[in-house]
Amino acid sequence: MNQRLKNIISNWRVIMLVIFLVFAIVSIHPKVFGNEGVTIRSVVQNSSAELAGIQNPSPKLTPLAKEKIISFNGEKINTADDFYKLTSNLKENRSLMLETSDGFYTLKTKRDVSGEIDLGLKIYQAPTSNLRKGLDLEGGTRVLLKPAEPISEEDLEITIANLKERLNVYGLSDVIVRAASDLAGEDFILIEIAGVTEDEVRELLSQQGKFEAKIGNETVFFGGKKDITYVCRSADCSGIDPRRGCSKTSDGGYACSFFFGITLSEEAAERQAELTDKLTVLSEEGGSYLSDDIALYLDDNEVDRLRIGADLKGRATMNIQISGAGAGPTQADGVTDALKNMKRLQTIIITGSLPVKLDVVKMDTISPSLGKEFLDNIVLVGLLAILSVITVVLIRYRKIKVVAPMVFIIISEMVLILGFASLVGWNLDLAAIAGIIIVAGTGVDHLIIITDETLKGEVISDWKKRIKNAMFIVMGAYLTTCAGMLPLWFAGAGLLKGFAFTTIVGISFGVLVARPAYAAMIEQLLKE
Amino acid sequence: MKLKDIYEQKYKVLLLIPFIILVLALLQIGIQTAVTGDFVNKGITLKGGSSITLDKTDMVNVEELGLFLQDKFPKADINVRTISSAGQVVSVAVDSDAQENSEINALTKAVTEKYNLGKEDYSIEVMGSALGNSFFKQTFMALIIAFLLMGIVVLIYFRTIIPSLAVILAALSDIIVTLSIFNLTGIKLSTAGIAAFLMLIGYSVDTDILLSTRLLKRKEGTVMDRVYGAMKTGLTMSTTTLVAIGVALIFVESEVVKQIMIILFIGLLVDLVMTWIQNVGILRMYIEKKRK
Repeated sequence: MNQRLKNIISNWRVIMLVIFLVFAIVSIHPKVFGNEGVTIRSVVQNSSAELAGIQNPSPKLTPLAKEKIISFNGEKINTADDFYKLTSNLKENRSLMLETSDGFYTLKTKRDVSGEIDLGLKIYQAPTSNLRKGLDLEGGTRVLLKPAEPISEEDLEITIANLKERLNVYGLSDVIVRAASDLAGEDFILIEIAGVTEDEVRELLSQQGKFEAKIGNETVFFGGKKDITYVCRSADCSGIDPRRGCSKTSDGGYACSFFFGITLSEEAAERQAELTDKLTVLSEEGGSYLSDDIALYLDDNEVDRLRIGADLKGRATMNIQISGAGAGPTQADGVTDALKNMKRLQTIIITGSLPVKLDVVKMDTISPSLGKEFLDNIVLVGLLAILSVITVVLIRYRKIKVVAPMVFIIISEMVLILGFASLVGWNLDLAAIAGIIIVAGTGVDHLIIITDETLKGEVISDWKKRIKNAMFIVMGAYLTTCAGMLPLWFAGAGLLKGFAFTTIVGISFGVLVARPAYAAMIEQLLKE
Repeated sequence: MKLKDIYEQKYKVLLLIPFIILVLALLQIGIQTAVTGDFVNKGITLKGGSSITLDKTDMVNVEELGLFLQDKFPKADINVRTISSAGQVVSVAVDSDAQENSEINALTKAVTEKYNLGKEDYSIEVMGSALGNSFFKQTFMALIIAFLLMGIVVLIYFRTIIPSLAVILAALSDIIVTLSIFNLTGIKLSTAGIAAFLMLIGYSVDTDILLSTRLLKRKEGTVMDRVYGAMKTGLTMSTTTLVAIGVALIFVESEVVKQIMIILFIGLLVDLVMTWIQNVGILRMYIEKKRK
């Protein structure tokens, strides 16, 4: 028996599965202890919290890496209720001590825009692992938008499609956008987004996003796919402008410049050649420039103004650099702000402008549609389902040697999916749960196929041949299912995309990593 | 004649059963489309609905209200959620698939009478579908491409046309028949339900590939021996899944997940017919023809 165990542990397929499992668990990073405290969801602009130096959490941070509030004025904070209780009756102009996972802050209370005393911190109960929960499971932000002027049904549809794309390009995938109307027949757009920073989204949604580049009074090109065929978002042609960098402003803060490359359509490039041809060349210190600048406007506000090099006169250049700036109290804040502005501008240029300006009517936090007890219940149901699977296979095979590795593999496959989900930071939602159910279901199917093929030992004596036979069926089913899921992944409709993605990732881990390890295990356990 | 003899000898007659079921299913879907204008009963996530927002929340218990409404309007698709600001619940939203004024009024009346609310305590919004108009078109296109791709993969794998078509036909029949039985239950389909129908592809393909491999690639025993061998494995697979789903159906509380489970349960039962009668029949006819 010991020799068998040794053989199993030293088998490369089993070793590979264990390595993958370790990676998965490290990336999920489940925390059983030390879950006290509340995590900062967002910091309101110009609030006491922002002035004290608390930063908006970057969406790239993993849930556990986000800044956590530990104590408030010396009192320990364990739950979100503690925090709300302690901060509900504050007086104006008092100094408060806030301890977070990153350090200590001194906050000075002040009235916010609406005249209430508010610290400007949006918080939620600290997460217990790096798994991100989607809208269905954790709730999120509900935004009600109203078109600034009455629009046609067609324009409403264009607006909705554009908003969806904007949020997607911006990197928010767990989003529901739909048309709504009240009983008086007024049109609204209702958006639900899994937990996000509110200010950012507010700007992204309410901006009409009419982007124009002008020379003098003439427009060279607009934002959107017609004039701009490509917008660079990789590090080699976008980011903080190395030539301009950051500089100190008169009020003691820092202003930083960003840049990114775009490619114009031929038509737009021609227009630029025509317009620059009319300008005259001015020679000055540091080089020759044209007599007029190119100015960039967003919703009729100037974003930036650039000199045009003399060599560009009358030339139809298709590659252009767009630039702009951001500012903050420290240099790091300036860089963050510039990059945030850059991301928003890129999003708007890619998706083009909306047919109409939208006003944010209200913005609230909404509870998950699946309810609070949903996850507990689903875990219970999952365990009961695994138990019933164990019962059936025990009745069929009557061998603990077969059933034990089977259970180990089923659980491993789920851990692998969840590990991958937290590694790439994708939101667990209903689609993902459906994907996990199918992976577990076909997983059991394939383990039964492998078992039956290898147990038929009387006919084929060679173990390698038996496992090869088994894997032939498993691979066939795998490739066919993948072929069925791929078009759904590309079909574009949100839910199906998530489902197809989870399924493909899950069965790939299953078929390529976990199920071969099972074959290796039962080979060792059942071999005479 | 014993059941076993009928199964072994009359397989060509038996083959009629899945095709009759398939035709009946298509008929049901056709009638459903003609009568209601939709091929399936669509729920709130698919066709939109209305949202009643209650601003007086002190006496509202979300779970209790949900159960109360589900009880009173068993046919409606209702979802109750809280809307909060800074940790305080400020309002309760009752989302439902009610789009007609009469339906909305009935629902509003039930809610306002339960809590004694005045006109100023609530507001009503009618919502469109969360999915664009092109959603179903896109999904159908994707499904057609999916079945084509699957056909190509199976064709490359087995290098014979008829058995490959049989795998695709079995998966397609499974989805169509399950859809029609689902329609008969009167449950309203949600987006998660669509995912469940797609999951059937995976389950159906598993048993069919198993069967085709055993019948076409293996040499030991007679054809019927191989059919029974495959069936032993296949039935173990289906039984474990059916038992697991059955247990889940009893204990799961979420309506959405329940719907996924119901669709899978129906689909797996249909798959038994499609694999062990339809696909076996086609493959046996194919093998017989090849021998001649």
